[in-house]
Amino acid sequence: MTEQTLEKNKKKIKISNLHEIGLLIALILVLLLFSFTTENFFTQRNFTSILRSASYVGLIAFPMTFVLITREIDISVGPSVAWSGLFFVILIKWYDFSYFSSAAIVILWGILLGYFIGIARTKLFIPTFITTLALWSALRGYSLFVTEGRPIAISNKEFRYLFGGDILGLPTVTWIMLGAFLVFWFASKYTVTGTNFYAVGGNPKAARNIGINVDRVKILALIGTSLFAAIVGILFVARVSSGNANLADGMEFDVIAAVVVGGTALGGAVGTMTGTLLGCVFIAMISNGLIHWGIDPDLNKVVKGIIIFLAVVINSNVTFKSNSGGPKED
Amino acid sequence: MEILELNNISKSFGAIKALDNVSLSLRSGEVLGLMGDNGAGKSTLIKIIAGNFKQSSGTINFENQKVEFSKPMEARDKGIEVVYQDLALCDNLTAASNIFLTREIKRNFGLIKIINFSEMFKRAKDIFKDLKSETLPDEEVKMMSGGQRQAVAIGRTKLSKAKVVLLDEPTAAISVRQVAEVLELIKQLKNQGIAVVIISHRMPDVFAVSDRIAVLRRGQLVANKLAKESSPEEVTALITGAIEKA
Repeated sequence: MTEQTLEKNKKKIKISNLHEIGLLIALILVLLLFSFTTENFFTQRNFTSILRSASYVGLIAFPMTFVLITREIDISVGPSVAWSGLFFVILIKWYDFSYFSSAAIVILWGILLGYFIGIARTKLFIPTFITTLALWSALRGYSLFVTEGRPIAISNKEFRYLFGGDILGLPTVTWIMLGAFLVFWFASKYTVTGTNFYAVGGNPKAARNIGINVDRVKILALIGTSLFAAIVGILFVARVSSGNANLADGMEFDVIAAVVVGGTALGGAVGTMTGTLLGCVFIAMISNGLIHWGIDPDLNKVVKGIIIFLAVVINSNVTFKSNSGGPKED
Repeated sequence: MEILELNNISKSFGAIKALDNVSLSLRSGEVLGLMGDNGAGKSTLIKIIAGNFKQSSGTINFENQKVEFSKPMEARDKGIEVVYQDLALCDNLTAASNIFLTREIKRNFGLIKIINFSEMFKRAKDIFKDLKSETLPDEEVKMMSGGQRQAVAIGRTKLSKAKVVLLDEPTAAISVRQVAEVLELIKQLKNQGIAVVIISHRMPDVFAVSDRIAVLRRGQLVANKLAKESSPEEVTALITGAIEKA
């Protein structure tokens, strides 16, 4: 019996890493494919570019992993990034706030927005999909209205070099993303807060019955995505030296695609930060490689659509079937 | 020693009388089988003991002191734990994580608190050893058999040093071999001096472990007698009302 269970255990460890290993192999295959079929893909400059776009997505994808694990979703992050950046620039340009206090206000805005989504979910019982769909429309619409669709430029070299440039050969945003990854990875594996996200996603009724404050856990997860959308908004401004209502168009798609490709289940309970990190690089590499192939950017979206569909198919059929299926009868 | 005494407990929901003047007591190390048809008042009674509901009238004594629980946490703090059939476990966590959920053992590093998995695995291993169960602490619950799942759920009550454990349908929807495993777990609890109440529809299981059988019918206690002085036939008749009282 013990030997049997041990054997079963070994198999389980293999399966739980299966998705990440598979994704890593896919990543290497895609890398080789683009490297041998295009001239400028396998260059340091291009890798920096891939890393940069993976980093912006990653900063929101880590908190999004927790949101999906708790059985919620936040599709407002794209417009939220655009509005946050714009809000930051407006505070500086129109109201003469300092960079620091503007950033503080925008970050506070992000926290309050997440709190609002969380309260709507837990106290008013509005599905997060609906609340964030409403925000998706409202935030983009308001951004366009306020700016009449024109970008608002700012010029500050220090700010641009510090947050929009490179440090030690890597984009600043990549360093920030790696720092965030370590924090989220650690939280997901070794803290009570992280365990509670999994518990709430695994069995909300049991979690509540045992004494976990399920509402608070969900609100915390939702604050995460809005907060990091605000941070990414500010970092985008540093990169492009302007606030723009059309920024981060379709970013919610890239973020959710990265998380799902990374092995997180849309139904909650399952997902890892390592998988999400790999998913971000995977999505960024495909987008970049297709551009090198000279494929139309609109068709690029079609390919990404197919990838996310395939990822969910693999997720729910291969990984789920071998790794889940509820209580087992022996 | 009488650990739990229910005196003349009644509970009404509007015009419906769910429990009518029920008196029942429980000794340490005793297994009580609580039986009755759907709607007989079993769940209501359990929920009053566990602090989910407050009785309309009557008193509860726990360890010879009058107690009033306004929420489940208060009953749990005193040492009364309920193991619900479906509401107990998170499938995606390990056995140890499930046992320690909300009571994790932590190590402090300044402001950061880190879960001490090795200590939790060790303690969980001891708990399973006490229960004579082959459950592995670091295995995810979704990989487990029904019997092992019950061991994890019961393991939680061991952690809190519960004195009274209420089991809601512990043998429903599991295979015959696993039933034996669960019944063995109940015997282990009994041997350690814990009072157990088992609610079940499965007559043979109840008779296999219970010292005493209590039968509820339409909110009234119609039998409370030693298991060896009764029989499945008599209990069935009491549940359906073929026998008025015993």
